[in-house]
Amino acid sequence: MTRRAVWGMVVGATLAMLCGCVPPQPGPELLAPTEAQMKIRSAQTRTFDVKDRQVALRSVIAALQDLGFIIERANEALGLVSAARFAEPNYYDMLGVTVTVRPQADGRMMIRANAIYNNKPIEDPKVYQNFFATLERSLFVTKD
Amino acid sequence: MRRNSNRGASAVLRRWCLVALSLVFAGQLAGCVTHSQPEELFQLTPESAANRAMQTRMFETKDETELLSASAAVLQDLGFQVEESVREVGFLRAAKERSAREYGQYISRFFVLVLSMGKVLTPVDLHQKISASLVARAVNPAATRQEVRIIFYRVVWKGDGQVDRTYIPPGQQKMEMLRDPVLYQEFFAKLSKAVFLEEFTL
Repeated sequence: MTRRAVWGMVVGATLAMLCGCVPPQPGPELLAPTEAQMKIRSAQTRTFDVKDRQVALRSVIAALQDLGFIIERANEALGLVSAARFAEPNYYDMLGVTVTVRPQADGRMMIRANAIYNNKPIEDPKVYQNFFATLERSLFVTKD
Repeated sequence: MRRNSNRGASAVLRRWCLVALSLVFAGQLAGCVTHSQPEELFQLTPESAANRAMQTRMFETKDETELLSASAAVLQDLGFQVEESVREVGFLRAAKERSAREYGQYISRFFVLVLSMGKVLTPVDLHQKISASLVARAVNPAATRQEVRIIFYRVVWKGDGQVDRTYIPPGQQKMEMLRDPVLYQEFFAKLSKAVFLEEFTL
């Protein structure tokens, strides 16, 4: 091996190491919504034909309890409910959900759910479909 | 002759070790089988209705606030501290911390230690936090009938242990829902006494 080739290798290795030393720049897109988030927002949101916010909020709580969730926090003024449950039968996976109830201008209720599984957001629309199906039942029972 | 019996003993010991090892592996495999997906956890299961019936009682009263404050009083009687309360949605959350030590666990820990020839020291439960989440709400539009639903659950902290030379630090957590009907019956019996009302099941 020629001396020049050895030198080339040394310089290359040093450069490669230097590259690893550059600190990762915090991207400005950290707070900007990604395309996936925009898509999941429509799955997380549903509008119901309910006039009373209190009724809607209590139905959300009842639906979450039916699903085996533990209600952790509720705020009536803000229309906010947080709940969590263990991914039974195992006890080390956690499932959390935050639901907000907001009245729309047309008098209907917009209900939004954000779910996380082990602190990662759930992006599967099916999860939210299942939640809203249970909520619909609960709303119907409460109205009667 | 003596040599022979020694050899027999070591063979028996080896066989026991194999049995213990295979038991440990079987236990680990069993832990791997069930993994629920998030979408399943947002669906009502056949057990949901049974759990609901166990955790819910109805009371013929208009006074939701009274029911809620009586519930808080009963939880206090049971040694709970109220951690969160929202009257507008009839919500209470309370917790208490207790020791979680059990004789059975210490006995099995001893046998595992002996069988593994001092190599495996399984962690035992040390401490637990029992929590309750309670919601009271009207079930009919005239609000003459109220339902109370309570859910008990607990978090258990384990002590330290050892496997061969690897030290298991203390503080490992285990969480579980409490589904013992007696627990719920006891709570509701106390509650109906506190509000001077008959309780109804679903």
